[in-house]
Amino acid sequence: MTGDQSSGYCSRPWSARIPFGRVSLAYFLAAAAFALIQVSATAAARADDGSTIFATKCAACHTIGKGKSVGPDLKGITTIQDPAWLAKWVAAPSALINSGDPTATKLVKQYPLQMPDLGLSSADVNAVLAYVAQQSGSVAKTAKGAVVPVAALPPGDAAVGREIFVGGVRLHNGGPACMACHSISGIGALGGGTLGPDLTDAYRKYGGTAGLESFLASVPTPTMSAVWTKNPLTPQEIANLAAFIKEGAVAERPLDAIGKLTLMGGLALIILILIAAVYWRRRLLGVRKPLVERANMLFYRKYARRS
Amino acid sequence: MDIRAQVSMVFHLDKCIGCHTCSIACKNIWTDRKGTEYMWWNNVETKPGTGYPTTWEDQEKYKGGWVKDGDKLRLRLQGRTEGLGNIFFNPNLPTIDDYYEPWTYQYDELFNAPEGDDQPTARPISLITGKPMDIEAGPNWDDDLGGSPIYASNDVNLEKLTDHEREQLNEVERLVFFYLPRICNHCLNPSCVGACPSGAIYKRGEDGIVLISQEKCRAWRMCVSGCPYKKTYYNWSTGKSEKCILCYPRLETGQAPACFHSCVGRIRYLGLLLYDADRIQETALADEANLVQAQRDIIQDPFDPLIIAAAQANGITTQQISAAQNSPTYKFVKKWGTALPLHPEFRTLPQLFYVPPMLPVLGKMKDGIYDSSAVEGMGQMLNSLEKARIPVRYMASLFSAGNEEIIKEVYRKNIAVRLYKRAQRVKDITAEEVQQALAIGKTTPEECEAIFNLTSLPTMEERFVIPAMAREEAIEQSLDPYTHKPAAGFGYREAPARRF
Repeated sequence: MTGDQSSGYCSRPWSARIPFGRVSLAYFLAAAAFALIQVSATAAARADDGSTIFATKCAACHTIGKGKSVGPDLKGITTIQDPAWLAKWVAAPSALINSGDPTATKLVKQYPLQMPDLGLSSADVNAVLAYVAQQSGSVAKTAKGAVVPVAALPPGDAAVGREIFVGGVRLHNGGPACMACHSISGIGALGGGTLGPDLTDAYRKYGGTAGLESFLASVPTPTMSAVWTKNPLTPQEIANLAAFIKEGAVAERPLDAIGKLTLMGGLALIILILIAAVYWRRRLLGVRKPLVERANMLFYRKYARRS
Repeated sequence: MDIRAQVSMVFHLDKCIGCHTCSIACKNIWTDRKGTEYMWWNNVETKPGTGYPTTWEDQEKYKGGWVKDGDKLRLRLQGRTEGLGNIFFNPNLPTIDDYYEPWTYQYDELFNAPEGDDQPTARPISLITGKPMDIEAGPNWDDDLGGSPIYASNDVNLEKLTDHEREQLNEVERLVFFYLPRICNHCLNPSCVGACPSGAIYKRGEDGIVLISQEKCRAWRMCVSGCPYKKTYYNWSTGKSEKCILCYPRLETGQAPACFHSCVGRIRYLGLLLYDADRIQETALADEANLVQAQRDIIQDPFDPLIIAAAQANGITTQQISAAQNSPTYKFVKKWGTALPLHPEFRTLPQLFYVPPMLPVLGKMKDGIYDSSAVEGMGQMLNSLEKARIPVRYMASLFSAGNEEIIKEVYRKNIAVRLYKRAQRVKDITAEEVQQALAIGKTTPEECEAIFNLTSLPTMEERFVIPAMAREEAIEQSLDPYTHKPAAGFGYREAPARRF
């Protein structure tokens, strides 16, 4: 039987197989073309000399020669620090901090916001360091210790920020409301989502308005960048949100909010139990007992009245 | 045509004296184990009464049996989706109170009590909690019309009666009752099998006995609510459901089931029927009025050579065929048509049939004395069925899905037999009256003799025609005996895991 089947397959007319050949060839060509496009794109990015990378990934927190922002001024950093250490740090700060590197530990203590892992390849790292080195030469250093905002943002309105946070106002570029993933004090007892961290403490943690604004502009964490690089926030939205988060800045969520939440949860539970108890009230009611009770009731009604 | 064999039963209610010997025989053999205390695979009920569990006939409450839905049958209990929704909580189960809280007595107190002025007493102890209890009900609490205003007056079958008929049943001089012994009906179309989500219940191929696999049962208890006769029970100790097994270990060794064997009134008959399995659906879908006739029609003539050939082609042995030819149930159900299924409207095609009881016609009191002149001429019995103590409509509700004509035919035939024999023995009935009775009862002197003999004078071999079960051949239906010879000898002897 097996022999018959295989010979039957082989003796299939040639024309019947042609579509298969065509389809697989087309796939191969498409894949090859796609790979070529990708390679050329990467090459083009390298040709940009790191300026693009700096603008999108670094400029939110760092300046070159304009003073300390959320992170340190990077003017001349390539001459101060060991290039090998610098390359490691830019590639993966968390790995270096976890390894207990003394310089990294010092930086963590000195700056409120720990530098996130930016996911740069070694080629990217080299490009951006080259850009920093090149820029350091051409810019004059400002007075030591001066703190400069990253970019001049319009003044924020906390009330509008709250609306943006809870989703009352649609974002200009169509991103999701913050509340979907984050909670914060000041949006009611039920709070928001729990996928991301509670932002009640964010103002302090991220080093004030400047830190928040630069964070929101660049969105460096992997989870958030996946969403926000496609739908970036406008400067006005950033300012409003930062103002709102500042307003709610307390170390912990107030105790009465947690109490309120517990109370609401308890009330909802009692209501659910009551509904279930009413809906399924005949659940465990047998047949015989009600029968006896009904008969006794009729009996007493009939004879107790007479006597 | 798909001819199969079914062990069927007939209970002759005229002969039942309500002694509960059958129940005790069954209890002692099968349900004296832990977890089965409340079960009575065989129980005897008083009618009118609510039975065990209380008002088991009320399918609005218990949702047992099948419902005719267009040209299809569906379980009254639930469809597949509903079954999935209810699988962890079946809302249609009887509570333990609807069965009864089983108890024993503290007998040792009778012997160990200190000497005193009073008789020592044995307190009732609950078999569920192990603590002293007040007995509120038992499995035959309404026996002999006990607690009539509560129980008898709530009999589901009384709903069909008029208010006048119902009131008459409560008049002291008309008070009447009869007994209804019940076991599993081993139905042709069992709804317990249909309701089981685990596929644990099956009908034995060789004799049609319905059994629950104690290995496959997963305690969903859908069979308990699915069976309209409430004859499957849940064992709380093993976590499995159990039911009457028609004493198949006894049947396989040629003995009648324990309840049959021990019956004092000799009311029980057991025999084989041949039926056409291709017609089960058609029979179960018959109109209510035709259900009894359809059940008679599905039973095939064991003397017909065509039927015998078809039966043999299906692996039914020669011994089984000759047992079917001698079957007392074939005579009562098909040949004479005097035995009727209990509640055929549940559409499970029960294989336990009842000969309805011949209750005396009503005598009259005249100046405080029983007036025998009012019943002069037994011939009146034939024409006074409307005046029977228990209305025909009540019997129709029990045995013929409301078709009163079938009940009347059965009674007319049985009355004709009685008049025929009375004319022979007591000789106070004229030959014309007997001829008239035979004509009305649609019977012949030969048939009357045969009915009389099988009713009043049967030997044990005539009452129980048990075919050789030929287990050595029956096993071939599921296993090849040669390949499984070393594997399946004594079955599986693992004990069920106890949960409590």
